[in-house]
Amino acid sequence: MKTNLAIPTFGLFLLFLTVSCVKDVDFDQADAIAPTPVVELDLIYFNLEGDDFFDETTSTPRLTVRDTTEIKFLDDSEIRDKLKRAEFLFKFTNSISSEFRVDFQFLSEQNDTTYTAQTAINTGSPGAAVQTIFIEDVMEEGLLDLTQANKVVVSVTIPSVNETLEGALNLQSKTTYYLEL
Amino acid sequence: MRIILFYIFVLWGVVAMAQNKQVLYGFEESPQSLMLNPGGKVNHKAHFGIPFLSQIHINGGASGVSVYDIFGKSEIDINTRIRNKIFEMKNTDFFTATQQLELINFGWRARNEIYFSGGVYQELDVITYFPRDLAILFWEGNQQYLDYEFDLGDVSTTGDLLMVYHFGANKQINNRLTVGVRAKLYASMFSYRSVNNSGSFVTRLNTTGVNIYDHTIENANVTVETSGYASLREMDGANQVTSEILGRSLFGGNVGVGVDLGATYEIAENLTASASVLDLGAIFHQNDVETYQAKGNYTLNGIALIFPPLEPGEPTFPYYDDLEDTLEREVPIDTITRAYTQMRPTKVNASLKYSFGRVIGKGQPCDCKNMGGGLDRNQAVGLQFFSQFRPKGPQMAGTFFYYRNLFEFLSAKATFTVDPYTNSNVGLGFVTDIGKFNFYFAADNLLSYGNIAKAKSVSLQFGFNIKIAEE
Repeated sequence: MKTNLAIPTFGLFLLFLTVSCVKDVDFDQADAIAPTPVVELDLIYFNLEGDDFFDETTSTPRLTVRDTTEIKFLDDSEIRDKLKRAEFLFKFTNSISSEFRVDFQFLSEQNDTTYTAQTAINTGSPGAAVQTIFIEDVMEEGLLDLTQANKVVVSVTIPSVNETLEGALNLQSKTTYYLEL
Repeated sequence: MRIILFYIFVLWGVVAMAQNKQVLYGFEESPQSLMLNPGGKVNHKAHFGIPFLSQIHINGGASGVSVYDIFGKSEIDINTRIRNKIFEMKNTDFFTATQQLELINFGWRARNEIYFSGGVYQELDVITYFPRDLAILFWEGNQQYLDYEFDLGDVSTTGDLLMVYHFGANKQINNRLTVGVRAKLYASMFSYRSVNNSGSFVTRLNTTGVNIYDHTIENANVTVETSGYASLREMDGANQVTSEILGRSLFGGNVGVGVDLGATYEIAENLTASASVLDLGAIFHQNDVETYQAKGNYTLNGIALIFPPLEPGEPTFPYYDDLEDTLEREVPIDTITRAYTQMRPTKVNASLKYSFGRVIGKGQPCDCKNMGGGLDRNQAVGLQFFSQFRPKGPQMAGTFFYYRNLFEFLSAKATFTVDPYTNSNVGLGFVTDIGKFNFYFAADNLLSYGNIAKAKSVSLQFGFNIKIAEE
């Protein structure tokens, strides 16, 4: 008698466990999971005075001043895979009575040029600084080139100069990284 | 990344829960109910658990999300659903996983009427609170969250793998009162915890003209304490790691002590109250400990170029390296080898039971040896309370139960529980004695078994014992 009832009881529980199931779900949707964060990050900044374009030691003009910085994460393989768009915003404030040309040259670890961008800066004056906004939106092919680089060379060129040049050229910049993780 | 997210969501929903064993608590026909209340009533003479099979417990859950919420078939894009969940959940929502495997369990009634019991079980217990702010930052980025302070304190997680050696005594003091105590020795095999963190990350528009933004880490104080991890890093392969961890189960790692206390009191013939406190103790992590601590303040404004006059071939300043060095200096990640004490997640059970129906087992209404004591009856209803201490406060559950002794050899108990996961958790368990062979099975969230993907928690215990009845 005991055994006869115990077996159906076990059976009931086993049936109960057997009927438990996972339904109305589609785990293939996991392939579609793709967070798309948009990250705002400061890039470079500088403040060049008028006399930075004149070498007082040799009394000769420095028509082009140049500096380089690494951006080590840019050519990281993860970034290369996940970056879908990069938008650079450069905000120049010029109080020098001269126009400028600014070149951005992105270099690979082997110092090969992978991507370039350039812009002209409007003439300002010591009493009335002029703002120039330059936006470089990099997508698709350009992005492939950009993410080969891990450093950027910034060159600021003035057409002509004298030792009494007044004012300053200021840069603030940021990059908006559109990612798909 | 997709694969990682996939597994996280699946594990959230299916693998584990908290440690409430509401079906088994007070289910005196099972010798394992003594593990939940060392002062429970014991109606048998001795028991011996079948080694490795006397209790298998799996419990897992998520308080704010189910597998169905994410992977249910829907017209709404899965990314939208995940995003909605991230914003819907709170930083007090949590994911837990608990697993216990009893290796040995035994007990016997000595001549002095004390029921002694002891054994060894292995336990894995993990809890992770939902780091809501960091999830938003990960999912959305910072563009739409200027001036929003992402709280680093949302990081709160603990995990323990340990072996527990225990020995207890249970005695019926008089016809009304039964008390019990169980001493525990903990052998920690692996442990980590990151709790009580603080600080924030915020992006604000710069107001001093340096650059466009200030990316600021403010008052960061984030700590991860580990025990039994440092030495594993140098091990070669899974076999060596497994061997090392198993070695610690015999007190080769860090040890701790604790105690379980419990009592049962017959308030009236039909009314019984019981309560227990489990794992009141601590583990003293002294060997193989490493604490990683990040502390400080830092504001990033990008890279300042200064265009130094350079000779041909002369390198400029290492701006990027300098920036990394400054960050490491301002918010250093220190590795500290400092012993620490970890309190066990103490659990509290309490119940009030009203018995009715026909009298079963020992004791009769006119039993002069049982004056004032309660009688075992074939039905009972009652209320139970459970609480477990966790890093962000206690997790509590309330249960209504119905017990019935169906046959001399078969008892069943049904529970209805309100807990942090759901307010409609129905559980069911049974204990059967076939000769000396004792088997029990308990599971909850039965209403979700039709589609377990909708369950926010699942708990399951079963086991086999040899039970020798009183003569």
